[in-house]
Amino acid sequence: MSQQDKVKINRLPTGVPGLDEIVGGGLPEFSFNIIAGAPGSGKTTLAHQFVFANAMPERPALYFTVLGESAIKMLRYQQQYTFFDPAMLPGSIRFINLSQVVLKKDLGAVLEEITREVEKFNPAVVVVDSFRTMVRKPESDMDLQSFIQRLALFLASWQATTFLIGEYAEEELRDNPIFTVADGLLWLRQTAERNSIVRKLQIVKLRGQDSVPGLHTFRITDAGVQAFSRTFGLTQKARNPSSHRRLTFGIPDLDKMLGGGVREGDSVLIAGPSGTGKSVLATQFIAEGIRQGEPGIVAVFEERPQAYAERAASLGLDLETPQKDGKLTILYLRPLDLSVDETMHSILDAVQKIGAKRLVIDSLAGFEMALSPGFRADFRESLYRMIFALTGIGVTILSTVEVDESFTEFPFSTYSISFLTDDIIRLRYVSIDGQLRKILVIIKMRGGNHAKDIREYEITSEGVVILGKRLINYQGLISGLPVHSDRSEPKEEPIQPGIGNNE
Amino acid sequence: MSNAPILNKAGLIMTAGPGMRDLAHRLVTYEAGAGNPPEPMESPALRVYEKLRQSLVEFVGVAGFQSLASRALTLATPEAPSLREARVNADGSLQGLGEIETQIDTDKDRAGEGGIILIARLLGLLRVFLGEALTLSLLRNAWPGEAFDDRNAGNGRKA
Repeated sequence: MSQQDKVKINRLPTGVPGLDEIVGGGLPEFSFNIIAGAPGSGKTTLAHQFVFANAMPERPALYFTVLGESAIKMLRYQQQYTFFDPAMLPGSIRFINLSQVVLKKDLGAVLEEITREVEKFNPAVVVVDSFRTMVRKPESDMDLQSFIQRLALFLASWQATTFLIGEYAEEELRDNPIFTVADGLLWLRQTAERNSIVRKLQIVKLRGQDSVPGLHTFRITDAGVQAFSRTFGLTQKARNPSSHRRLTFGIPDLDKMLGGGVREGDSVLIAGPSGTGKSVLATQFIAEGIRQGEPGIVAVFEERPQAYAERAASLGLDLETPQKDGKLTILYLRPLDLSVDETMHSILDAVQKIGAKRLVIDSLAGFEMALSPGFRADFRESLYRMIFALTGIGVTILSTVEVDESFTEFPFSTYSISFLTDDIIRLRYVSIDGQLRKILVIIKMRGGNHAKDIREYEITSEGVVILGKRLINYQGLISGLPVHSDRSEPKEEPIQPGIGNNE
Repeated sequence: MSNAPILNKAGLIMTAGPGMRDLAHRLVTYEAGAGNPPEPMESPALRVYEKLRQSLVEFVGVAGFQSLASRALTLATPEAPSLREARVNADGSLQGLGEIETQIDTDKDRAGEGGIILIARLLGLLRVFLGEALTLSLLRNAWPGEAFDDRNAGNGRKA
């Protein structure tokens, strides 16, 4: 069968920011869905968002309330959300209470009542909240499974997209015949991670289209449920083709060591102990980008944007003007219960808003601390997803990471993330001639050749300044405790940018 | 009557606000002059009550409406002692209002006052629980021919 012969399934907007991307572009029209989860996990709010996004006067939404939360209280609370439009009630959205039928009759009568209302109003959307509370009488002439099957058949025939809301515990997911009837099964979870509450949703099942697998973080705010896809909403965006353009730091000697600069779309790691100038280098990188007309984002976790800009000013770098001009955004991400996905969402919003080409994350340790404890365990995997997603759209990421100074080891990062980065610049202290001096070395550049030199540098009022030529009269520099050796000055080797790979 | 609501010790409004009372009065007047002539024993206030009951039972359920109506009656009775004879049945219907209004029919100014206060109280409860916008949406649905705006609800804001 050719593509044009196949039936086209329309996808309806969920009304939940981020969820359309997760479910593969919207929920299939006329699908029969179950929203399951523990009390308080956001099931009703999610259903309301769908209802408000899709109901129309000519094809309204019918919202059947059963037992449990009373409709009057539900509306009292739900109208606090920004998506709630009271003008849509009762013309486009009708709330119908079935508690009397459930209490006095059986499931057959409930089905009759729903059938009657559906035939009367011809709804596009039907919600039953909560269908689980309908099973009250063991002697009922119809069990829940039969009820669900008949309801699903009827509502599909009447071209309604349906949601049944039910309280289910995790262990009830397996071997539950009710779930086999559903076209879609959305599972909402809410767990306590030390002192933080973490909410996650999973599309356990969705017939007819690809959804993004896995657990996705979501948050409930004044705007209702907001979901954060594990793929950060970038699955439908084409990856940028590899670029050969080089982005400079504006530090001529360092740019030369890098073979002309870091490759556009790379992930760069600057690692070093405290005070070696990681943030200074990062600031110079972002300021140089702005000077060259490349908007930038700085995500800071350990100091406020104002303090960050003031420190840059002390180096002669103006970060205030580009912020006013919309060329630079300094994001301060400090809350302690963020998920990586939420952080990413903030960063992506900023990237898209100003068309950022450079992103600085200062620092990874601060980033990790800003996350909810439950997410810290997945930090490495989350970083991988984040870096892959952002570099894929052509953003060059520079991250700083503090490493413990050691005189026996030369670590690049405490996170074992060097494999995630294309380029690594390592800074360190070294004891030379009775002074604690600073050296830097390019550890790797995935996209081309780079200098192997170990160079001394200083942090001056103009930022990082590379001193002299490479240090040739010392052995064991990277140990931090070099031994002086008298050698003649070597010939400088030219760097061939973009040729070969020293990995 | 002062526009300031009278509060009890718990801070609850003890009289139906003028906005709600005006709105209730308007609904009763509308029903008095609308459509089919009422049954001899049926008061316009009772017709308003019945319309509200039918509209609200659909979404809050019989028990939900019965609770609201009972509460409204309790709040209204101190303002209109004649309502002491009225009862809210299990199905939410009101018993006794028509008879009360027939008894006081000799005084046209007082006729229907108890019913208006009861309706005002019921509308006041809806406004407390659902807010003004949603309450007016429900009223527009029950009385599609009547134009409601927020001035009827007493705060001067446009709907």
